[in-house]
Amino acid sequence: MRTKVGQGIGLVLILLWCLFPVAWILSLSFKSVEEAAAGSPQFLPKDPTLDTYQVVLQDADFQRALINSFGISLIATTLSVILATLAAYAIARLDFTGKRVVLSIALAIAMFPVVSLVGPLFDQWRVLGLFDTWPGLIIPYMSFTLPLAIWTLSAFFREIPWEMEQAAQVDGATAWQAFRKVIVPLAAPGVFTAAILTFFFAWNDFVFGISLTSTTDARPVPAQLAFFVGPDQFNAPTSTLAAASMMVTVPIIIIVLLFQRKIVAGLTSGAVKG
Amino acid sequence: MAAIEMKNIVKQYGDGFAAVNDVSIDVADGEFVILVGPSGCGKSTLLRMIVGLEDITSGDMIIGGERVNDMAPRDRDLAMVFQNYALYPHLTVYENIAFPLRLAKNFSESEIDEKVRTASATLELDEHLDRKPGNLSGGQRQRVAMGRAIVRDAKAFLFDEPLSNLDAKLRGQMRTEISRLQRRLGITTVYVTHDQTEAMTLGDRVAVLRRGFMEQLATPRELYENPVNLFVAGFIGSPPMNFLPATVEGDMVELPFGRVKIPAEKAARAKGRGLLIAGIRPEHFEDASVMDRATVAEGSTFRAHVDVTEWLGDQQYAYIPFEAPPEVQAQLTQLERDLDGESIRTQLVVSLDSASRVPEGEEIELYVNAAKMHLFDPSTGDNLTVTSPHEETSAHSSSTSSSSSGASVAR
Repeated sequence: MRTKVGQGIGLVLILLWCLFPVAWILSLSFKSVEEAAAGSPQFLPKDPTLDTYQVVLQDADFQRALINSFGISLIATTLSVILATLAAYAIARLDFTGKRVVLSIALAIAMFPVVSLVGPLFDQWRVLGLFDTWPGLIIPYMSFTLPLAIWTLSAFFREIPWEMEQAAQVDGATAWQAFRKVIVPLAAPGVFTAAILTFFFAWNDFVFGISLTSTTDARPVPAQLAFFVGPDQFNAPTSTLAAASMMVTVPIIIIVLLFQRKIVAGLTSGAVKG
Repeated sequence: MAAIEMKNIVKQYGDGFAAVNDVSIDVADGEFVILVGPSGCGKSTLLRMIVGLEDITSGDMIIGGERVNDMAPRDRDLAMVFQNYALYPHLTVYENIAFPLRLAKNFSESEIDEKVRTASATLELDEHLDRKPGNLSGGQRQRVAMGRAIVRDAKAFLFDEPLSNLDAKLRGQMRTEISRLQRRLGITTVYVTHDQTEAMTLGDRVAVLRRGFMEQLATPRELYENPVNLFVAGFIGSPPMNFLPATVEGDMVELPFGRVKIPAEKAARAKGRGLLIAGIRPEHFEDASVMDRATVAEGSTFRAHVDVTEWLGDQQYAYIPFEAPPEVQAQLTQLERDLDGESIRTQLVVSLDSASRVPEGEEIELYVNAAKMHLFDPSTGDNLTVTSPHEETSAHSSSTSSSSSGASVAR
């Protein structure tokens, strides 16, 4: 009993610690521009208003950035997960020369500081005509998320007993059918984990988003936020920014809640002897 | 359904290790053949070569008259039950059983349904069809794995130690079930096991393997009564055959416990060979005090000191330690190692009538039916007293087993 009470208190403390900034942004987003800039902060808005949301939503640039963000993140996630699934399967199941090299290079790429690549990429993309385009952002997102996705997925594939595939082959499946009908469904938790990680990276990225774009043709939301302006140069658009932040946070929360159900541990239980 | 012919099958791994050496087995259409041997004898490898999960280094694998060496598993049309069942955990029992049919693509939905329901009725899985394998017991999973195998009319069934993950009681039940199923469907079956009880009870014929070589291919009765060498003699039978140092003089055999008379024909075969190993099964001994005088007088008796007894209700075992000379000891230790066992001491195991009241730690008079004694050459391990010559013997003599067929099966 006592441990349960202790657990409860601990949980509440951690939740407060984590969620207080979110709550602060939420309350800020309901304050009017003037109130947020007034300089005497109180937690609850004196005069709650939805004006800020209206302003953000009606901002054509923000709408465009939202589309960019969704499009780029979804494409990067899809491509990355498909490629990572195939690569991870090969790494987990096949013996080929250079397997260790592939894995170590993948890890090295994941550890590379993002900022150090911005300069060279900027130059390359200008030459190649990829600057300020969707592919110009999708490619770097993929190259940074693929290694993590490959490592995650190959760990999942290794957990799946070989016999599953062999059984499928004896039952009359081609290698591809065995992969698609048996292995991929069993690795689904891994696939979703990889998808979430990739989507987060792409959705939250600011460095590439601000450096490799110049117009709303490809600029994602986090970068677009930097272009918000207040009523005049002495009044920062704090509450509008807060409203925009809430609007980009909500999709992430929804996606995580949706995918969370798919990440059921122990999906392979029952495959083999009990 | 089809016959499976294995001709001089060899499996050699990259490091030169030969897991299977020149094994030839003919499995007739509808026959139930067991591959048995201690771990590492190559039995599972051989089975996996039949189904196509393992490449064949040399030799011919012929299924239904067609050489399948280079065919993919799915083109061989065989059904296999894996040791760990390998059920698809994301599919229901129904879909697990239907899986091979859906892949075949030439069945309509109603045909699939009919076949699945027939298979599930056979295996009494009807009430579990909508459940996932994760929620089933070990025995139920085993039946689902069988269901997946029987649902399509494959050319043959292959079993890879299907019962080894079940508890003893369930294993006995499933053994009978598999036997009944195979008899009813009349389908060619190859069954791998390390359990000699399964081998003896299920098989029309049994192939005993050791370290990649086939030692003997024969009916269970033939294996039991006429093992071709020490290994087969020691492997088949529980408790195992007793091996004792022996020397033959005339028609008398000198054993550690005394001299016994053997048939003249057997004595003649072992003449002048010096020190031999005598093999006598536990049930060929008896407590002389519970037998009638006339029978005892016909055989030989000796007195021995009983160390421990085990009373099991229907019978009892008595253990009698003895010292073996070093020449024989070396061979017996090696044999024990081949059989996955560990010899702690040389001892005689005798099976006595359960009515016998043998006091532990005392000397009793034991009767031995010496006519059933086998004599083995200690250096080669060959049985010198095989009574009926048979063509389907050992792989060492590289005899082909072409003359054997389902017709020779006497069960």
